Amino acid sequence: MIRKIALILCLIGTLGSCTKDFETINVNPNAPSSVPLDYLLAQSTLFITGEGGDPGYRSWRTNFIYAAMMMQHMSSVEVGFYRGTVYTFQGDLSAAWFERAYPNSIKNLVNLIELSKADAKQVNILSMARILRVIEIGVLTDVYGDVPYSEAGYAALTGTFSPKYDAQKDIYADMLKELEEAGNALSASAYIPATADLVFGGDINKWKRAANSLMLRFAMRMQKVDAAAAQTWAKKAADRGLMTSIDDSFGVKFANTGAGNNANPNSWNMFPGGRGIVTADNIQWGKTYIDAMKARKDPRLGVVSALKSGDKTPDKQIGLPIGTDATMLAALAAPLNSRANYSRPAPNMYNLGNTQFVMTYTESELLKAEAIERGWVTGTAKTAYDNGVKAGIKQINSYGGTLTDADAETYLAANPYPTTGTLDAKMDAIHTEFWMSTGSLLQHIEAWANWRRTGYPKLTPVNYPGNETNGQIPRRLRYSQGEYGVNPNIDAAVARQGADLFTTRVWWDKQ
Amino acid sequence: MKRKLLYFKLLVLSFLSTMSFAQNVDVKGKVTSSNGEPIYGVNIVVKGTNQGTVTNDKGDYSINVKKGATLTFSYIGFAAKEVAVGNNSVINVALEAQDNVLNEVVVTALGIKKEKKALGYAVSEIKGEDLTQARTNNMANSLQGKVAGLNISAPASGPAGSTRIVIRGNGSISGNNQPLIVVDGIPINNDNLGNAGMWGGGDRGDGISSLNPDEIENISVLKGATAAALYGSRASNGAILVTTKGGKAGKGIGVEVNSNFVAEDLLIKKFENYQYVYGAGNNGLKPTTVQEALTSNSWGAKLDGSSVIQFDGKSRPYSAVKDNQENFYQLGSTFTNSVALTGATESVTYRFSMNDLNSKSVIPHSGLRRNNFALNVNGNLGKRLSFVSNVKYIIEKATNRPRLSDSPGSATYAINAMPTSLSVAALQESQVTPQNYELTWSDNIYIQNPYYASAEWKNSDKKNRIIGTFEPRFNITDWLYIKGRLGFDNFNYRYQEITPYGTPFSLRGGYGVNNRNFTETNADLMLGFDKKLSEKIGLNVLLGGNQMRQTYVNSNYSSGALNIPFFYDVSNSDPSGRGLGEQLIRKRINSLYGSAEFSYNGYLYVTATGRNDWFSTLASGNNSILYPSVGASFVLSEAVKLPSAINYLKLRSSWAQAGGDTDPYNLSLYYSLSGAHLGAPLAQISTSQVPNASLQPLTSTTFEAGFDTRLFNNRLGIDFAFYTRKTTNDIVGATISATSGYGSALFNVGEIENKGIELLVNFNALKKKDFTWDLSYNMGYNNSKVVTLYKDLATIRVDENRTRTAYINHVVGLPYSQVQGFDFKRDAAGNIVHDAQGFPLQGSLTNFGTGVAPLTLGFNNSFRYKGVGLSFLIDGKFGGHLFSGTNSYAYRRGLTVETLEGREGGLVGKGVNEKGEPNTVKVSAQDYASRIANNIATPFVYSSDFLKLRQIIIDYSIPSKVLGRSPFKSASVSIVGRNLLILMKDTPNLDPESTYNNSNAQGLELAGVPATRTVGVNLNLKF
Repeated sequence: MIRKIALILCLIGTLGSCTKDFETINVNPNAPSSVPLDYLLAQSTLFITGEGGDPGYRSWRTNFIYAAMMMQHMSSVEVGFYRGTVYTFQGDLSAAWFERAYPNSIKNLVNLIELSKADAKQVNILSMARILRVIEIGVLTDVYGDVPYSEAGYAALTGTFSPKYDAQKDIYADMLKELEEAGNALSASAYIPATADLVFGGDINKWKRAANSLMLRFAMRMQKVDAAAAQTWAKKAADRGLMTSIDDSFGVKFANTGAGNNANPNSWNMFPGGRGIVTADNIQWGKTYIDAMKARKDPRLGVVSALKSGDKTPDKQIGLPIGTDATMLAALAAPLNSRANYSRPAPNMYNLGNTQFVMTYTESELLKAEAIERGWVTGTAKTAYDNGVKAGIKQINSYGGTLTDADAETYLAANPYPTTGTLDAKMDAIHTEFWMSTGSLLQHIEAWANWRRTGYPKLTPVNYPGNETNGQIPRRLRYSQGEYGVNPNIDAAVARQGADLFTTRVWWDKQ
Repeated sequence: MKRKLLYFKLLVLSFLSTMSFAQNVDVKGKVTSSNGEPIYGVNIVVKGTNQGTVTNDKGDYSINVKKGATLTFSYIGFAAKEVAVGNNSVINVALEAQDNVLNEVVVTALGIKKEKKALGYAVSEIKGEDLTQARTNNMANSLQGKVAGLNISAPASGPAGSTRIVIRGNGSISGNNQPLIVVDGIPINNDNLGNAGMWGGGDRGDGISSLNPDEIENISVLKGATAAALYGSRASNGAILVTTKGGKAGKGIGVEVNSNFVAEDLLIKKFENYQYVYGAGNNGLKPTTVQEALTSNSWGAKLDGSSVIQFDGKSRPYSAVKDNQENFYQLGSTFTNSVALTGATESVTYRFSMNDLNSKSVIPHSGLRRNNFALNVNGNLGKRLSFVSNVKYIIEKATNRPRLSDSPGSATYAINAMPTSLSVAALQESQVTPQNYELTWSDNIYIQNPYYASAEWKNSDKKNRIIGTFEPRFNITDWLYIKGRLGFDNFNYRYQEITPYGTPFSLRGGYGVNNRNFTETNADLMLGFDKKLSEKIGLNVLLGGNQMRQTYVNSNYSSGALNIPFFYDVSNSDPSGRGLGEQLIRKRINSLYGSAEFSYNGYLYVTATGRNDWFSTLASGNNSILYPSVGASFVLSEAVKLPSAINYLKLRSSWAQAGGDTDPYNLSLYYSLSGAHLGAPLAQISTSQVPNASLQPLTSTTFEAGFDTRLFNNRLGIDFAFYTRKTTNDIVGATISATSGYGSALFNVGEIENKGIELLVNFNALKKKDFTWDLSYNMGYNNSKVVTLYKDLATIRVDENRTRTAYINHVVGLPYSQVQGFDFKRDAAGNIVHDAQGFPLQGSLTNFGTGVAPLTLGFNNSFRYKGVGLSFLIDGKFGGHLFSGTNSYAYRRGLTVETLEGREGGLVGKGVNEKGEPNTVKVSAQDYASRIANNIATPFVYSSDFLKLRQIIIDYSIPSKVLGRSPFKSASVSIVGRNLLILMKDTPNLDPESTYNNSNAQGLELAGVPATRTVGVNLNLKF
C-alpha cells in the first residue's frame, strides 16, 4: 500500500522543480528559426507572381478579371465575375493584389533585406531582394495609388502594425533610389546565388541592366506629372545601360510539374487542372485585341490564339465583343451567339512552365524610343522602336511560338515607325505596340498602367448598366475593404488621393 | 527527494501503528434507506470522539465502542441519526432521505463534494436524466435554456457539429472563452477540430460531443473563476464537471436498457421571403440559350409557365418552384441504444455500459455514428484504501460533414441560390457530363449541384478516444487523507476529404488526409484534512500538485491535380503536387494548489484557495503566476430566527483570479520549408502572427455576490447572483493591417469587462396528491465591454463574411463581438446618397451591435399526474445581431421579395444625390440590387432575438404494481420533441441561431445547414 503511494508520489514527485526543460519544450521541432538566405530569395521571387497553394489567386483577380478585361485584351460574357469588362466592383476581386502581396512577398522580402544587410557577403541577395521589392511595390502603387511602403511588412521587425500609406510621389522617388543603389551594389565578386536566382540564374550583369530598364519604366511613368524628374531618371537609366536583347527580359521561371508551387500563376488560372478558366469558356480574347492583331498582320496571333477546336489558323480567329453579357451575346446571329465559338488563349499560352514576365526587352526599347523622342535620352527613336517591335515578335517564342527574324521584319514593315509623324502619332505607334506585346505575354497590369499614362491605344470604353465609372475605363482599383476599421492610416491616404473609387486617378496619372 | 519520501513513509506507518483501541462492546448492524435498500459508505462516528467507521456495500458495519456511547450515522442526502448503544450489540438503522437544502451536496472543483450551503459561489447542477430523453447528438446542446447564465450556441453545421459554451460572457479577445470540461476529475480536450470560415469549410466537431448522456450521473456547472479557481489558468471561463455513473450495490447484476429514436425534419421548410413572380435569367429576359440559362440569378421575365431552356439544354416550364428545400433535404433520423450493467462484490462496485448512436442528417449522405463504452470500478482495498477508476472508449465516425459558408462543395449554398424557376428535380436529373464531370447549372463554377456536392464532395473522419482515470485514496485517519489521481485523454483522429475529379473549378480534383494524435495526461496528488477543531469550528484543508502534459501530433498529406481520374490517393499526383506536413505541439503546466475552509456552527463558511501555475508556453521569468480566491457563505436562516415564511436563506460572496497562457511556440519567429523549385529549396516565414517573447499570463478577476432562498414551505426557491468579471493583460491576437505583413499580433494588453446577473426561480405551483405542477425560470444577463485593446487601437477584426461587406470586430467601449458593416452613405438627415448614375454610395463602417446575445432565458413547466408527466421548455436569447450572407446573396440574385420593386421600367432609389437634391435617376432593379449587395451590409443585419419551444417531453412510468411479477424493476416510455417551434424571430429564411462556426467571432451567417426539429420516442427499462 505504502509502496503504491510511493509510486504515485514518484510519478508526480518532481513537481515545481522540473520547469527547467520548459524552454526546450516550447521550441517548435517542425519549423526552423533560421534558414539559408538562398531559400528565402527563391521563395520571395516566386511570391512576386503569386502564392503556392493557389498560385493564381491574385493573378486571376487582378490580371485577368480586371486588367485584361479593362485593356480589352480579353473579354468575358460573365460580367458578374469578370468585372473588368464592365467596370463593376467586388471587394475581394479588386483588392486581391493588395491583400496577397503584403503578407507574402513584401513580408518575406523585407525580412530578407534586413537579414542580408547584416552580412556583407550577401550583397547580391540583398540587392536582388531590393529590386524584387521595388517590382512588387511598383505594381501595388500603380494599381492602387498611395499604398503602405516604407513601413509595410515590418511588423515582426519594428512592431509597426498599422503601416502608413506613403504618397505615390514619395514611393516613386524611393523606388528609383533603390534601383540605383541595388544596381550599384550588385557585385560579380561577391557570393552569387545562382540556383536561387530564378530570373537570371546568377547573371549579375543582367540584373544590373534589368534594374536600369525598370528605372526607365518608373521614370517614364512620371512623364505627365513631373517631366523633369522623368527626364532625369530616364537619362540616368539609359546612361547606366538598359537591357540589350530578349535574353535580358526579366521573368520568373517556372516548371511544368503539375504542382501549384512550380506553376506559372497565369497558366494555372487557364489550364484545366488549375482554375481552368479557358477550358470552361469563362474568358476569351477580346475583339479589340484580335481585330488589332489581324489589322496589323501580327504573326503572334497564330501563337497566342486558338478556337475551342484547337484550330490556330489566324484568319479564323475571332475576338469576343467587349462589354457583352450572355443575354447580349445570345441576341447575335449564329455562330456569334455562342462563346464556345470565340478565340481563346491557345494551350501553349498556359503551359505551367512558361516564364512569367515582369519586364521585357521589348518594353525597355519602346520606352527608350519615347524617351528619345522627348529629347530625354540620346539615340534614334526609330532604332529603339524597331528593336522593340522585333523583340516583341521573338519574345513570344518563350510561350511556344516559332517565329523567325523574317516574321519580325515582315511585321515591322507592316507597322513602321512614323518617323515624320506628329508626336501623338509616334506615341500611338510606340504604345500600341506596347499594348500588343504586353497582351501577348499576359502582362495586362503593366499594359493598363502604360495605357493610363499615354492613352494609347485608343480604347472605346463600354457603358454597361450599373458600372461604377460612368462608362470610363477605371483609373485605379479600390483598396482592400479589410483595411477600413483596421488600419487608421488609410483615411489619410483617401483624404490625400481622393475618394477610394475606380475613377480617382493616381498621382502620376495627371489629367 | 528520496529522503523526504522515506520520512513520509515513516510518518504514515506511525499513524497506522497508533490506531488501535481498547475493546469494550462489539456493535454491528446494517444501515438502509427507508425503503430497505442498503446504503454504502455511511459515516458512523462515536459521538464526541474521532472514532468511526463506514458501511460496506451491503450496508453492514461493525465497530468497537465503550458502553454507553452514542453513534452518529450520517450520509449525504439523508438526515443524520443518533443512536445510543446501550447494551445492544446489533443496531440496524434506517435513514430518512432528506430533500432539505441544508444537506444538498454538489461536486466542486477538483471533484470534491461539498455541501452546497458552504459555497461562496453559484453552482448549477443538471441531472443525467435531464439529458437522456430529449437528446442532442452533441450533449452540450441539451444544456441550452436549462442553466441561468449558460450561453450555448450551436452553429448551423449538421449532425456532428460543435457547440459554443460561454459562461458569464467572453473574457478573452482572441483566446479560449469556453469553460474547462472535466469528466470524473480529468480535464478533457474540447478543441474544435475544424471550422468553417469566410472561404468555406466544415465543422469537424469538438470534444464534448464524445460524451454519452446515458453515462452521466450529473453535471456541475462552475460559473466562473470563483468556483473554478482551483483549476488555475484553465478555469478563467468556469468549468463543467461531468460525473459519470458508478456501480451500485444490489441484488445480482442490474441491467438498464434505453432506446431512443427521433426523426428530424426542417424547421423552416420554405424560404420565407423569396419572390415567385420572376424566374431565372437576367435583365428581365427569359433564357433562350443554354448559356443564358447558366445563371444563379432570378432577374428574368415574369413566370408564365412557358417552356424555357435550362442549364442542361432541356426545356422545362418557366414557373415557380417553391418546394426545393423540402424535396432536396431528407427526413433525418437518430437511433440511440444503450445497455448498462451494474453490480457489486464484497469490496467492489462496477458499472459497464455500451451505447450506439446512429444519426442521419437531413442532408443526404451526411451522418454520425458514435459508440461509447464505459467501465467504472470503485472499491475498497482494506479499510483505509479505496479507489475510483473508470475508462471510456469512444469511436466517432462522421460522414460527409456539410460544407458551409462559401459556395464550393456546399449543397445548402446551392439550394439557397437556385433561381425561382429551377427545380431540384432538374438538378437531380442532370448532374454530370458524359465524361462524368460535374455539370454546372450556373455561370459560377464555384457553386455546385447540390446532389453532386452532397454525394461526390466526400469527407469522412473517425476519432478513437480513450479517457481514463485512476484515483486511489488512502484515509490516514478519519480526518486526514491522501489522494492521487492519474488521468488521461487520448484520441486518434483521421480526416480525409475529396475534391471530386471533374468538378469544374478544379477539374483534376484533389485528395487530402489529416491525422491527429492528442494526449493529455494529468497527475494530481492531494493531501486532505477535515476536522472539527471544536464543537462549532471546523477546518477543511487541501494541498496538492498537478502536472499537465499535452502532446499533439498533427500530420497532413494531400495531393492536387490527380493523374488517374476518380482515383483518390496521395500517390495519384506528381510528387511536386503532393503536400505533406507534420507538427508536434507540446505543452506543460506544473501547478501547486491549496484550499482552506473554516466553518462556524454550520452557518458560516469562509474558504480561501490558491494555485500557482508554471507554463511551458511562456518565457521563464514570465511563466509563473499565482491565482487566489476567497469566498464566504452565511446561512442566515440557521444563524438567526427568520419569519416562518422563509425556510432557508443563504448569502454568499466570493472573489477570484484565474488566468491563462498562450499557445506553444508563440514567442519567436519561425520559417517553413516549402519544397523546391527548379532545384532551389524554398523557405518563407511561417508565422502569420507577430510573435511576442515577453508575453505574460493574462488575469481574469471575478467577483460575485448572491443569495439562495426557499420560501413558503420550500415551494418557492430563488437563487440570484450578481457578478463582475474583468480580464486584464489579456493576450490578444489582434488582427492588424495585412500591410504590416502579418494577419495578427500578440499583445498583452487587452482589458474586457463583463457584468451580469443570474436568476433561477423554482415554483411549485400545485401540489395535490396525484397532480403536481412545477415551474422553473432561469435567466442570465451579461453586459460585456471591451475596455482597451492595444495602445490607441480602437478596433480589431476577428472575422469577415464572404460578401466582404460585414465583419466581426471587437471595438473599444462597445460589447464584445460587434457585427460591423458598411452602411449606405447618408446625408445629415439620414437620407441615402446616390451617385450621379442613380446608385447608392457606400458609407462608413457601422457597428450594428453585438453578435453575442446578452440575455438568455429558459422557462420550464412540468406537470405530473400519477405516472404521466408533461414538461415543456421555452428558451430565448435577446439583444444579439446577425449578418446574413444568405440573404445578401439572395437579394443580389433577385430571389427576395425586396427585389420586386422596379423590375419593369426601372427603379429610382429613394434618397438624394451628392448635391443633396432628391435622386431622380432611374436604374435597373438588378443593377441596383447588385450594387447594394456588393457594397452595403445594412439591409442584411438582423436582430438575432428568438423564443423557441425548445423541448417537450411526455413520459409515462409503468407503476411498480403493474410490473410486479415481470422481470422489470422499472419501465418508462416518453415522447420527446426538440426545437419544435420558433415562437419569435426577426431573420427571414433563417433560424437566428445559424452562425457557421463556434469561434469567438459570433454574428455571421452564410449557407448554414437548415435548422431542424426532432420528434421521437424514448424507452427505458431496468431489470
